[in-house]
Amino acid sequence: MTDPAVRVDRLEKQLGPNKVLRGISFEAQSGQIFGLLGPNGAGKTTTLRIICTLLAPDAGAVEVLGFDTRTAPQEVRRRVGVVTAEIGVYPRLSARENIQYFAELSGVMDGKVRQRVEAVIDRLDMGSFANQRAESLSSGQKQKVAIARAIVHDPPVLMFDEPTSNLDVLASREIREFMVESKERGKCVIFSTHVLYDAERLCDRVTIIHQGRVVVSGSTTEVRGTHHDLEDAFLAQVEGAPA
Amino acid sequence: MSAIRIVLKKELLEILRDRRTLIAIALATLATPAVLFVISQVSAKTATQAYTIGYSGQIPAGLDVLFNATGLKLEQVDDPAEAAKQQVDLGVLFTTSAVEEYYDPTRQSAQIADVRLQEVLSQYDAARIAATLQQRGIDPSSVLNPLPLNQHPLSSPIKAAGNSFLSFFLPYILITMSLTGGLSAALDTSAGERERRTLESLLLTPVPRGQVLVGKILAVSLISLTAALAAIASMLIALSQIHFGGSAGAFQVELSPLASGVMIWLAVLLAVSFSSVTIALGTLARNFRQGQAYATPLYFITIFPASIILFIPDFNPNLAIYLIPILNAVLVLRDAIVHGAVAWDALAVTTLSLVATGGLCFYAALRLFTREALLVRS
Repeated sequence: MTDPAVRVDRLEKQLGPNKVLRGISFEAQSGQIFGLLGPNGAGKTTTLRIICTLLAPDAGAVEVLGFDTRTAPQEVRRRVGVVTAEIGVYPRLSARENIQYFAELSGVMDGKVRQRVEAVIDRLDMGSFANQRAESLSSGQKQKVAIARAIVHDPPVLMFDEPTSNLDVLASREIREFMVESKERGKCVIFSTHVLYDAERLCDRVTIIHQGRVVVSGSTTEVRGTHHDLEDAFLAQVEGAPA
Repeated sequence: MSAIRIVLKKELLEILRDRRTLIAIALATLATPAVLFVISQVSAKTATQAYTIGYSGQIPAGLDVLFNATGLKLEQVDDPAEAAKQQVDLGVLFTTSAVEEYYDPTRQSAQIADVRLQEVLSQYDAARIAATLQQRGIDPSSVLNPLPLNQHPLSSPIKAAGNSFLSFFLPYILITMSLTGGLSAALDTSAGERERRTLESLLLTPVPRGQVLVGKILAVSLISLTAALAAIASMLIALSQIHFGGSAGAFQVELSPLASGVMIWLAVLLAVSFSSVTIALGTLARNFRQGQAYATPLYFITIFPASIILFIPDFNPNLAIYLIPILNAVLVLRDAIVHGAVAWDALAVTTLSLVATGGLCFYAALRLFTREALLVRS
């Protein structure tokens, strides 16, 4: 087995009075969709924020493609793209200008910025609204801008944190298709969601966390086991998990 | 392209597309000339306006001519004291031995009429005394003005009056516009990032946060500087075109090259300092509105030092006072305008003080910008 793209080892984190993570560990491989699952408040977003260096862990370690998040945060950020449910964009910039800004900040070479921006616009089929100001875009179009800015530097690791929670059916399907396409291009895709039905359809491997602990980890088939679906498997695990 | 330039370029583009900021700069440019125009109109009206004096008794011969020449209209009334309450601006009772004056000091028109009445009466007295002396063969000037004063001003009194006016008004405009001109942009670029939920994506880029912050501060500083200099330029143009008190040439405003240079240098320092302060406050806020609430006390903090020149025009502090930010800029600029000279040690201390203030605020903003609570709280 090859080295994991992302390795999370016994992660602990306290935010204010709350112990959010209590020793989370998992590994995610390139060319796979890895599902980080759990109910709201389980610690999924905090885990992703530690992986992408926005937060520092209290204990434990995270490596992204061999780079430690504590000692080489900038190297990690160069290799990670994050799409969240919060599709905040700069309203007075056009979709294209939003993407270009992040391409430049993410270190895309000066001569290649335009080329990369156009490639991403083509790939996400954004040509019809690329020159519109972001304030006039629909939620689905803004989500595409958010994806575009996350992938414009072509990162090998992509993380999606509840990416479809504010979207309609069509926009959600496009996101799912994009995740599958990214996996086929050899990216490591980490998909964080509480919608277990989506995870079951998309993920190769999953880790279910609850109250800051891993309750089960493995391939989607293994985790589902003899249960009807992932949701049943999750409920069975949670009922047996320590409080 | 360096990260600072990338952020600067993007922020300027966004700011220039923001109606709030553009309206603030436009208002800053137009407000001062508009206020000056209103002041000039009011002062011109006051200078030419006639005031009514209600009188009873016999007017001394020749006095009515002086009244008319001074813009005082005479109107006969039964009771001058009663009439002075509302009917006329001033009441006067002429007796054989004196002039009894009745006026309400709470009425501004009564105060102006009172001044004019005293002027008229002193002219009348002088004329009567001179005529009596001449009848007796005495030269009136040797009695009425035995020690004449011959004035030799070392510079133009008209220019000095203008500079005195400018020494209060210009620092005031410079400071308030350096703060308010870029305030909207500062809050938009700091609190706005959290409100729009773009902060997390921005912090995910590999660019060091210090560089992002420098780019933002430079963008806001440029806007502040533009607003302040535009307001001052429009004020100077307005002052060169508007005549106060209805008389052309009574008031001359001229900014020397030295004062202009000092003003631009201080404007740069103030713009950078204020940008750092407002961005730090904006970073502390969760949204634009909260940022405005945090920034409100800044108005008072800045207006007080600017006003000190008004209350203590001849305030000559020691060098240590120049360590106080904002007040130091007001004092240095005042000296440059009024005296046409700069105390270089005072300017150096002022520069040091403003750079240190800006540096401390930058450090505070950077600390706020890098703390985890910034993301967790949003």
